[in-house]
Amino acid sequence: MTERADKTIELRVLRYNPEADEKPHHQSFTVPYTSDMSVLQGLQWIKDTVDGSLTYRWSCRMAICGSCGMMINAEPKLACHTLLRDLAPGPVTVEPLNHFPIERDLVVTVDDFVKKIESVTPWLIPKHPKPVSEGPYNQTPAQLAAYENFSACINCMLCYAACPQYGENPKFIGPAAMAILQRYDGDSRDGGSALRIDAVHGEDGVWGCTAVGACSDVCPKAVDPMHAVNQNKMNTALDYFLRFLKKRDAK
Amino acid sequence: MSERRPYVRPMPRDWWAHRPFRHYTIRELSGVTIAIYAAVLLSGLVALLRGPEAWDAWRGWLASPASLVLHGALLIAMLWHVRTWFQILPKTMPKLILGGTPVPQRTITLVGTSVAVICSSALVAFVLWRPF
Repeated sequence: MTERADKTIELRVLRYNPEADEKPHHQSFTVPYTSDMSVLQGLQWIKDTVDGSLTYRWSCRMAICGSCGMMINAEPKLACHTLLRDLAPGPVTVEPLNHFPIERDLVVTVDDFVKKIESVTPWLIPKHPKPVSEGPYNQTPAQLAAYENFSACINCMLCYAACPQYGENPKFIGPAAMAILQRYDGDSRDGGSALRIDAVHGEDGVWGCTAVGACSDVCPKAVDPMHAVNQNKMNTALDYFLRFLKKRDAK
Repeated sequence: MSERRPYVRPMPRDWWAHRPFRHYTIRELSGVTIAIYAAVLLSGLVALLRGPEAWDAWRGWLASPASLVLHGALLIAMLWHVRTWFQILPKTMPKLILGGTPVPQRTITLVGTSVAVICSSALVAFVLWRPF
């Protein structure tokens, strides 16, 4: 039997139309909901029945594409992974992810984040390259465990919205980029650490982190970016002090 | 073609005073109290260098009510600092993998805190009973 949507909840959505609005403002919608409805479905109901101009990103509806990150009651959450019934009786504040410029309504500019991900050389650089004919690069369960959680990042940017240091200094490399860096640096098959170390160094690298830990708290995939950032503090310190002893390849 | 005019929201200056960052702020401030206690000990060392009178004056100050209140407050802050220090210990060390599986962070915190408590208790017991 289909449940009837006889309960309602108020969604206070931050709206911003760059063509008409000087600055963002809240708009309230009363949304009928069933017990299985997510915040994303609430937004879809608004778009379908009340205001077709409401703009937000979404795709998979099952917490794997990382598109629908937004501030729900001031907490960075995936809208598809947050149920309206858990937020009852409301009202529920829905705003675009903190620390990112707003393009329109709930859509933020992702350029900076994408550049940061690119800057960590996010792919495997084989330590000992070999042709396919020589078979796969094998790995033990322990070697997999060394980086496995970091490979679960879905680039949803919730950790950047949670990080006050990124809010203070947008040049800070931030949590997810370091988690993705550690996913490759920590891989036994990879030999590309030297290419990635420049992204780790300095105030805009891992030292911009003060171990607030909010990134790991809000991560929907238990990636634990705080761990990635902070274990790289040791790596960058060692690299700094040992740089005179190490022989580096000419770039 | 629509106009692009990204809106940048200002970062509140007092973010550290609000949830969910209060816990972090208290943790960091507890580190300042460690520095204050270090300064107390250092002043004792300076008093020792200056001679017996300065040393006795410093010890006299230690026994004053103001000093006892300060030490009580510093002790509470220190204990909180120890607790939170070990809470973030597993985040600052390389991943610990034993027998092919990662050691849970909670276990690392528990072991670290236990070692600190045992060592500190042993030191206190040693000072109180002075076997030598």
